[in-house]
Amino acid sequence: MIHLKNVSKVYSNGTEALKNVSLDIEQGEFVFIVGSSGAGKSTFLKLLIHEEKATFGKVTVNGYDLMKIKNRKVPYLRRTMGIVFQDFRLIEKMNVYDNIAFAMRAIGAPEKSIKKRVKYVIAVVGLEGKERCRPSELSGGEQQRVSLARALVNNPEMIIADEPTGNIDPKMSFEIMKRLVDINKKGTTVIIVTHEHDLVRAFGGRVITINGGEIIEDKIIPAEFDTTENSESEYTDILAAVDSQNTGQAEETTVSDHRKEEDE
Amino acid sequence: MKFHSSSYLVKEGLKNIWNNRMMSLASIVVLVSCLIITGAAILISVNVTSLISGIGDDNQVNVFLDYEMSDIDAIKLGTEIKKIDNVDDCEYYSKDDAIKEYKTKLGNLYDSMQGDENPLGNVYKVRLKDLSDYKHTISEIKRIDGVMSVSDRGDIARTLTKLNYFVSIVGFWIVIILGVVTLFIISNTIKMTMYSRRFEISIMKSVGATNTFVRIPFIIEAMAIGLIAGLISSVALIAIYNPIRDNASKMIALIGTSTIPLSDIWGNILLGFSGAGILIGALGGFISITKYLKKEGGEILGW
Repeated sequence: MIHLKNVSKVYSNGTEALKNVSLDIEQGEFVFIVGSSGAGKSTFLKLLIHEEKATFGKVTVNGYDLMKIKNRKVPYLRRTMGIVFQDFRLIEKMNVYDNIAFAMRAIGAPEKSIKKRVKYVIAVVGLEGKERCRPSELSGGEQQRVSLARALVNNPEMIIADEPTGNIDPKMSFEIMKRLVDINKKGTTVIIVTHEHDLVRAFGGRVITINGGEIIEDKIIPAEFDTTENSESEYTDILAAVDSQNTGQAEETTVSDHRKEEDE
Repeated sequence: MKFHSSSYLVKEGLKNIWNNRMMSLASIVVLVSCLIITGAAILISVNVTSLISGIGDDNQVNVFLDYEMSDIDAIKLGTEIKKIDNVDDCEYYSKDDAIKEYKTKLGNLYDSMQGDENPLGNVYKVRLKDLSDYKHTISEIKRIDGVMSVSDRGDIARTLTKLNYFVSIVGFWIVIILGVVTLFIISNTIKMTMYSRRFEISIMKSVGATNTFVRIPFIIEAMAIGLIAGLISSVALIAIYNPIRDNASKMIALIGTSTIPLSDIWGNILLGFSGAGILIGALGGFISITKYLKKEGGEILGW
């Protein structure tokens, strides 16, 4: 699915954003790419969607060799992936339905299939009844769900979410993450770029840590939170607890402690 | 491209015109001005060319005979003229016939003239076979005894040729300069549209829209602006053509030829201008969007 071999990226100003990175991500994986800002996460993402080309090495995504890909083939590469942006990137003059349909119209899908598919993805992200709303009439979480629906609408093999919970509150983050987990369970590869370690710990999966343009860690961590058993409010409680723990405010409760308490 | 995509793209392009109506209107106004000036230059050039060819086609010269020449001598002179190889036909036109024609033309004005003497001379209207041998034939006719003078249209033709050359050169540069100006204007309008839609373009590209798909609505918009400007300017030119032609014809009638009637060219003006508008639009749109499409993601949004 994604294969990077000895990949380096040096920008024209001399910045070395990625240094000799090698990794493989296979179909159906749930992967977090974590790292602080400036670590090289964005560059990694740009390489995957071919907004940037690697300076050295070999990059293969969904069967496309990105070191040799012709410009006219790039749109077809992008059709194999759905991208969720931190800032949602919704078009304000369009309602929810049109924002989602836009992604299908842009690849020349017939209106009949658009109607059918958009209705389906709206249900997947739980936005039934909001079809005629404008983005400004929705909460941050709902807007991100529209963005997710748009990423899903062309039935991609892979979803790439760039800081999907960066602009929304913990309650809404749960919703988005839960949807991503559900999507992944249906076989779609999900790659989440984030700097929120709590989010990673809570949901678990393969975690690739990038720092200074290098992969410093690549491991699988178990989920501390089970989306099938626990509710949204419990999740926010956990996050709040983790948050206070991180800021050094007394409480010793961890996510696992909280789960223990729940069990008792 | 499938039909449903084409109709969607055309609709998007036309919607753009309305969404950017102020800029579209400004472009149309400037384009109309440019096209009218360009069109006027072309029409002047075309008419002058037509005048020159009219003179060229009119291969008839007037041979004026000596005032004192008797009718018998005049007939003899006629046979001499006919003997010249390049003469196709020659017709005698006496001074009495000439004065009668003047009388009819001038009407009451003629009656107010004083004196009974006919000031006009006897004339042979000579038709030539080959105009390229014009100069040589004229000099042969002039050599015949009793010929006073020969009307020489060469001077008028030469003057008009010079004028045509001048008009062509000026017209050419007007077309070039205004063509560049119109291209610049139309591509700027499209740039504005693209800038206002940069967000949509970045999303379209991220979901896998091909460059052609992104490009078409902008080119449709530019072509529609060009077409509207072309139609307005051609209608304006058609409307002003006849009044200008009528005035010009009054002067041009003195040399016996006429300009091109509107009925002969209105279709060409309409088609030519609409076509030029569409072409300039397509080209302007294509240039600006192609440059823009090389950008990716954040670059499109200016981040």
